Amino acid sequence: MRTVAYYKGCLASLSAKELDISTQALAPKVGLELVELERVTCCGAGDIHEAEPDYYLHLNARILSYAEATGCDTLMTVCNVCTLNLRQANFQLQGDAALLERVNANLESVGAPRYSGGVDVLHFLWLVSAGDGYELLKDAAHKGLKGLKIAPFYGCQILRPSKLLGFEDPDRPESLERIIKACGGEPIDYPAKIKCCGFPIIQAREDVALAELIQPIEQAKEAGADAMVTPCPLCHLSLDAWQSKLREQTGRDFQMPVLHLSQLIGVAAGLDDAELKFKRHVVSVEPVVEKLSV
Amino acid sequence: MAMQVALKIWRYDPVAGERALREYEVSAPEEATLLDVLDIVKDQVDGSLAYRKSCRMMICGSCGMRMDGAAVLACKTRMYDIAQAGHVPVVSAMGNLPVVKDLVVDMEPFWGKIRKVTPWLEPGYSDPGETEHVVSQERMDVIHKESLCIMCGCCVSECNSLEADPDFLGPAALAKGMRFVGDPRDEATVERLQSYSEKHGIWDCTRCYFCQERCPKGVDPRDAIAKLGAEAMRVGIDSDMGAKHAKWFVTSAKTTGWLRETELVPKTQGIAKSLKEVKFAMGLLRRGKVPPPFPPHVAKDVGEARALYDLVKEQEREGAKGIVQGEKALGHLEPEAHGEGPREPYGEGSFARPYLPEEKEEGA
Repeated sequence: MRTVAYYKGCLASLSAKELDISTQALAPKVGLELVELERVTCCGAGDIHEAEPDYYLHLNARILSYAEATGCDTLMTVCNVCTLNLRQANFQLQGDAALLERVNANLESVGAPRYSGGVDVLHFLWLVSAGDGYELLKDAAHKGLKGLKIAPFYGCQILRPSKLLGFEDPDRPESLERIIKACGGEPIDYPAKIKCCGFPIIQAREDVALAELIQPIEQAKEAGADAMVTPCPLCHLSLDAWQSKLREQTGRDFQMPVLHLSQLIGVAAGLDDAELKFKRHVVSVEPVVEKLSV
Repeated sequence: MAMQVALKIWRYDPVAGERALREYEVSAPEEATLLDVLDIVKDQVDGSLAYRKSCRMMICGSCGMRMDGAAVLACKTRMYDIAQAGHVPVVSAMGNLPVVKDLVVDMEPFWGKIRKVTPWLEPGYSDPGETEHVVSQERMDVIHKESLCIMCGCCVSECNSLEADPDFLGPAALAKGMRFVGDPRDEATVERLQSYSEKHGIWDCTRCYFCQERCPKGVDPRDAIAKLGAEAMRVGIDSDMGAKHAKWFVTSAKTTGWLRETELVPKTQGIAKSLKEVKFAMGLLRRGKVPPPFPPHVAKDVGEARALYDLVKEQEREGAKGIVQGEKALGHLEPEAHGEGPREPYGEGSFARPYLPEEKEEGA
């Protein structure tokens, strides 16, 4: 068992609870013991980085300090945006002693622990697509996906900027494909799998966002995908919930089920309905479930 | 020593309106760049091949093009490892700009946007007389990266927002805008920030980070756009929905700690517009995607996050300064590969899927 500090982030705490529930249920099967952080806040999602950058740095330093206080050397995330925000702040603090000292003095004066720079921020995808986690996943996913065609959708902020994420080739990633195969599914290939889902501007610039969102869904559909899978709950929300807006705008009803990564592995690992929570999705996952039950 | 280099080039003949993928193989010196190889093809195989070049040393910004679907400077791209791996790369014109011939794009839409950001100093200072205006290193650090731009267009080629909205000012023009907003000699800061905050400006950026990934000079255009957003909000230019969206995250963090998701829509779009979204919201509500705002989901010890907010406000690292302070550490960053370690850059399988939108269009 590898013990990691677990940072849920905002969406998995509330509107994407199914992500948290399936992740917690799956963790022991892939060798992860999760220590949930209770005193932490939102990472700022890139918005606080833009609105109040110094506050962004402090909020993330505080998350890192509480992760370090658990004694774990790894902070596990389940969201691309949390991953980028936390890794960026972490590198800024680790690489600049004067900056780290000012932030630590501030943390101390509000009663939070100091941060020494000893935590690595790793996304759940990275923990189960390589090394021991991957070996355990291959054993755990024994129920298989019966050759279902799955379209991997990476999202932006788990790939770029690669200098800060650095897990795999940002133009030709293969971690999701590896997992889909290990779970008995067939990964399908399409150009937009590394492009943007439009989520960050879906409220302020809906038309622009929808013109981005349609690309991966349309291409996945054309390539014959039974479902899409994503490691990011923000991508999930736009891909799943905003499909109805695409229908309004273009008249095309894609009905493309979208799974969180933990749900995809969870299905193959035999998690039950109460742990998968497919009923919380806007686009029905029923066609996928039916194909698997045959 | 010489080596054999093979490549495929997407040719476009504007007179006949025909496109074709042609393969070439030439002998080139081992130190040859993509630009050198194109020169050899043009010299020895087909003199009608069109591409732009000038300085050959990564400073004029003329030879932006795509290799295997990713924008590069041809003069910065060495071919040795690629040729040794037996890989035959596909070379095509940059994206998001009209193709004139072969690898040459029409840069006019690019220059039009650069002009829109008033890319020159609007000085308000008095005549310095015999002396000169001294700008401190600390102030120059704020626009150091933005000053490195050679306007090659590699960022624009890959911008996902620009692809969806051709009127978006885009990463190059906005980074240029930040170069002047951050210059202490410029007196048009507020006017600039107002103009850049309009539709098709700062708040159209979808944070896909392709610009940051592709820029061959380390300008980091997305960070420049974030600096513009931070400066706009610092001086109170915050009426755009994008700015309101960003501010709600700050309010959420310092009140409950977590994002107050359900209130985000009315706080961003205003009550009237969000009421039009009731039908959409009801669909989400049925699936538990609209968490009730009461009782709020409050982080334990959120008082610390509130106190931190007040504390950092006093320390005056607001606006772009708050982003610039982290650049030194990131500038020196050479993170060790984690997970499975680095892949061979040109090893087997690493070019398995070159994505070429042009290729798809051709097949369609």
